[in-house]
Amino acid sequence: MTGRLGKYSLWQFRDFFMQHGIGIAIIGLLWGYTLLAPLRAAMSPQTPMPMGPGSPIWGLVLQITSAVVSVSVLIAMNGIVATDRKNGYYRFLFSKPINRVLYYAQTFLVYMIGVLLIMAILSALLRMIVPSFNVAYFLLYAALVYVAMGGIGFLLSVATRYDWLTLAAVWLGARILRAIYSGPHAGFKGKLVQVLPPVHRLDDVANSLIGTGSAPASDVVWLVGYGLLCFVIGLAVLRYGSLAD
Amino acid sequence: MAELSATRDTDRRSAALVIEFKNVGKTYKSLLGNSVQAVEEFSLEIREGEILGIAGPNGAGKSTLISLMLGYLRPTTGAVEISGQPARSYVEGNGIGYLSELIAINPKWKAESALVRYATLAGLSDDEIPRRVEYVIDLLGLAEHRDKKVKALSKGNLQRLGLAQALLRDERILVLDEPTHGLDPVWTQRFRDIVGELRRPDRTMLIASHNLDELQRLADRVAIIDRGRLQRVVSTGYESAAPVATRYRITFASGFDLVRSVFPGAEEAGKGEYDVTVQSIEELNSSIANLIGRGALIASVVPERSVLEQQFREAVGESS
Repeated sequence: MTGRLGKYSLWQFRDFFMQHGIGIAIIGLLWGYTLLAPLRAAMSPQTPMPMGPGSPIWGLVLQITSAVVSVSVLIAMNGIVATDRKNGYYRFLFSKPINRVLYYAQTFLVYMIGVLLIMAILSALLRMIVPSFNVAYFLLYAALVYVAMGGIGFLLSVATRYDWLTLAAVWLGARILRAIYSGPHAGFKGKLVQVLPPVHRLDDVANSLIGTGSAPASDVVWLVGYGLLCFVIGLAVLRYGSLAD
Repeated sequence: MAELSATRDTDRRSAALVIEFKNVGKTYKSLLGNSVQAVEEFSLEIREGEILGIAGPNGAGKSTLISLMLGYLRPTTGAVEISGQPARSYVEGNGIGYLSELIAINPKWKAESALVRYATLAGLSDDEIPRRVEYVIDLLGLAEHRDKKVKALSKGNLQRLGLAQALLRDERILVLDEPTHGLDPVWTQRFRDIVGELRRPDRTMLIASHNLDELQRLADRVAIIDRGRLQRVVSTGYESAAPVATRYRITFASGFDLVRSVFPGAEEAGKGEYDVTVQSIEELNSSIANLIGRGALIASVVPERSVLEQQFREAVGESS
């Protein structure tokens, strides 16, 4: 008799909402409200503000929504594997007839659905203020960031106890180092930073994907490929490594 | 007695091999390059129907051995096999009833819902889950705590919840690490009764404990380990115990002046109490019969150390 991992996904979904989802929703709402409420107050039927792609407000919307997605993924990845290892929860979980690789792969997928669901609700609310905002395009972008950033977060959660902290450091560090060592004169260091997460591609992808629903294929392949590779390495470490310290 | 012992040993040898530690070693290495040898050249076979105790002082490697058996750790050398499969593959395919020394259950979960979760992971059907959950709740007296969050449970109740999740399924292998830790005397006795009821010819159990008295009562054999090495394996039944010098305290109601005529080396331990050393259980019985035959009235005969305790002290030293 093997475990019913599929059925257990309902419990994983519940855990996501209780431990991460509520926090993500509150942060998204507060962030969106504090930045967009003044705009809404300034608008009136007599003085409509341009809100379409290319307008100053659109730039602000892009900034806020892409930041909310990144923070949401950061929160979702917090302890996705590390908490079970740190607190010893793995002991009872994996004495049951289940495969730990499948268990965590399913957790990653369930959390992705959770993040997208909350992003759908938040973006539907945003659309009430900014009618040109396309929920489907935004969800595409959120899914891409989840895979790109979440894949790295997953690997870090398998490898370290302080996953969200290291993920934030890697994400920001990659941005900073890529900005410093870019251009034709960067030399060896410039080549070295190429192995860092391709976060610099994210701004362009956010602009085009949220605005038009399409993005340069090479950017998407880089981001998704990098995230998926990290995710697969994380699963391999789970498969061949030790759960106990 | 010797005949019975031989029969049991033959039964054990003919039973199917279930768990096998094959020259297992585990070394922990720090990032700075320091290494600690937790388990070294450990080999042991555990057969179907057997209850094997694991005893050892703190840090002897008991929990590491169990983690290796469940596949939570990978051995540095050697291998652990269960029913001929690598340990982790067996656990992933079949499951094991496991009670860990550290009861780690998410503190935000409620007791009953934690059991439902574990039952789902254990593969019980939707029909079986409520029935089995109810069974273990009843068996371990958790009814009044079922709606409490795990963080609100006392140490003893948490220990019972840990044992409950291990018994959710009718497992062929049960591994109990310090199972009575934190239990009050009533539940300690209840636990021993439960283990007695769980004994089955097709079920293998491992019990790691500091409590030698408990292992003496529950286990067929006890593996004594120290500093990560198997020191010796002791059969716990008196009839099969190796003949070793064992001390007993005899309390006389009357006739204590006769003691030295039967036990020349007897040492006075108190009023009417004498400590004597015998080489075998037969010698003890014949000497006591001799004393009674001469008119002594004996109130009690208590082993100062059980055979297991004696062996344990010899194996790991008096300081442990």
